[in-house]
Amino acid sequence: MRPAENIEKLIKKLRYKAGARTHEKILGNVLQALDEHERQTSGVTKPEIWRTIMSNKITKLAVAAAIVIAVLIGSHYFAGPVSVTTSAYAEIAQRLQNARTLLYTVTTTTPVQGMPNMVMEIAFKEPGYMRMTMPRGYVSVMDCIQGKGLSIIPEKKQFIEMEISNLPDDGGRRQFDAIEKLRSLPERADEVIGERQIDGRTVQGFRVTEEGMTNTVWIDPKTRELVKVEVAFDNAPGISGTMTGFQFNADLPDELFSLRPPDGYTRLELKVDGGEASEDDLIEFFRLWSSWTKDSTFPPTLNPAELPKVTMELIKAGKFGPDQTATTEQQQFDDTMTITRGMMFVMKLPAQSNWRYAGENVKYGDAQTPIFWYQPSSSATCRAIYADLSVKDVAPENLPK
Amino acid sequence: MVEDRLLVWKFKRGSKDALRAIYQKYADELLSLAGNLLDDKAAAEDVVQDVFVTFVQSIEKFRLTGSLKGYLATCAANRCRDYRRRSNRRQATVENKAQRASREAESPVQLVICSEELQKLSGALRELPDEQRETIVLHLHGGMRFRQIARVQNVSTKTAQSRYRYGLDKLRSTLNGEVRR
Repeated sequence: MRPAENIEKLIKKLRYKAGARTHEKILGNVLQALDEHERQTSGVTKPEIWRTIMSNKITKLAVAAAIVIAVLIGSHYFAGPVSVTTSAYAEIAQRLQNARTLLYTVTTTTPVQGMPNMVMEIAFKEPGYMRMTMPRGYVSVMDCIQGKGLSIIPEKKQFIEMEISNLPDDGGRRQFDAIEKLRSLPERADEVIGERQIDGRTVQGFRVTEEGMTNTVWIDPKTRELVKVEVAFDNAPGISGTMTGFQFNADLPDELFSLRPPDGYTRLELKVDGGEASEDDLIEFFRLWSSWTKDSTFPPTLNPAELPKVTMELIKAGKFGPDQTATTEQQQFDDTMTITRGMMFVMKLPAQSNWRYAGENVKYGDAQTPIFWYQPSSSATCRAIYADLSVKDVAPENLPK
Repeated sequence: MVEDRLLVWKFKRGSKDALRAIYQKYADELLSLAGNLLDDKAAAEDVVQDVFVTFVQSIEKFRLTGSLKGYLATCAANRCRDYRRRSNRRQATVENKAQRASREAESPVQLVICSEELQKLSGALRELPDEQRETIVLHLHGGMRFRQIARVQNVSTKTAQSRYRYGLDKLRSTLNGEVRR
């Protein structure tokens, strides 16, 4: 009697093969299908929401909000006081310890109607390269050693050359903050959630909270792989980010991080402040917004989840001045940067700062009305920004309740 | 695994070279899988093409959660099922055996080793019930675990294992019978 394993070996030998010409033909048809698919997906029949969003100064707020989230996620991972050490965590930390490249996908969601989820593919490579790929072929590359960056906008055949100032002394290592934070996972998880099924895999969940961010981390205890990280923001209810598709030490060719623009593209330039967002950035945001509104009022809210929606309502109500389409594209990029940094400052404020915003319906110019205040850590007084955009140190009891 | 993830990552960013690499890596394996499932070389070629066309058309939404080979094998298995269903409906009314033999002979897809024993085995595999043949081929050529096969066939893992065992038993007795004769 023929043993079963012999039969199995024989069956494995039942292999079919096609000649090179046949493979060439099939592959040719597949590539043709790909070309056709690309034509269709970039055609006018698809929703043009991205084109609309990216070409409208105000709706760029929504994009700015999503980018803020991605940046915050990238630089502010896990933290928290309580120690939970597991063998799975230890192995992930070890893997990160040796990581020289890191890939992941961030999907940001907002409750804003009509605002699609934004999917960004992020890649880091030592010593200080970062690449961010967004929908519709938008690509940004940063070289944090040189302080230079390049963004490509294929549909307009434009590229933005970025000069990044105020980078910290550790240069490129800063881009690996994400990895450093991940390394500290074993000491920083503060809640064990238990098991759950994700895409057919049984994963274990841990929760980590700090500085207004709640991170839920899911790992596969069998493969020791980091499967998913969900991030929520205390200061932006409804907005969330999900990181998936982690890959460590993938072989990423240097060409992916090239700062050479494509031939035939038009050049724009952008000065980028690579330092921490500060109070001054928020003040600039207030200045910019109040210059946009007809009655010089400040934004009704600072919640990034609500701001785009509220903005659209204000546009419909005719609250903004007529110059929105008159500014140059260059100016629009600068404005987007101002918005992004102002919002980043607010989102990064810890809950203990007890920040408050009271700028709704307040007009620019009133030196007696505080519109925003917060208490810096280890300070007895609050920093208060007034409607004339002056700043004072004020005792908490002298501010509105 | 990491290489596949990187290839998918590059392909999602528009690299046609990455797509070519994926094709070259898995096309022959899928051809063997489809060839053994369908026992129709020309149809196997169509199935492989369909699998890759569907793959490129859904690449924006594609997320690699397991192995790429497993994903492609599952797609191929589903395509083969569809093909079998359609061809069962057409049955011999459209194509008689002679026509099919002629079409098969013209197909550029061929069995790699054509020893007498393998020919017999191929014939015996052809005679197995579809679900047993599918289980054996997906396990041995698709590299799929019984749990994954069970999911594809919408049955329990035990049923998939039983189908595999019964199928192998039949093949063995068929081959031994041939030898004895």
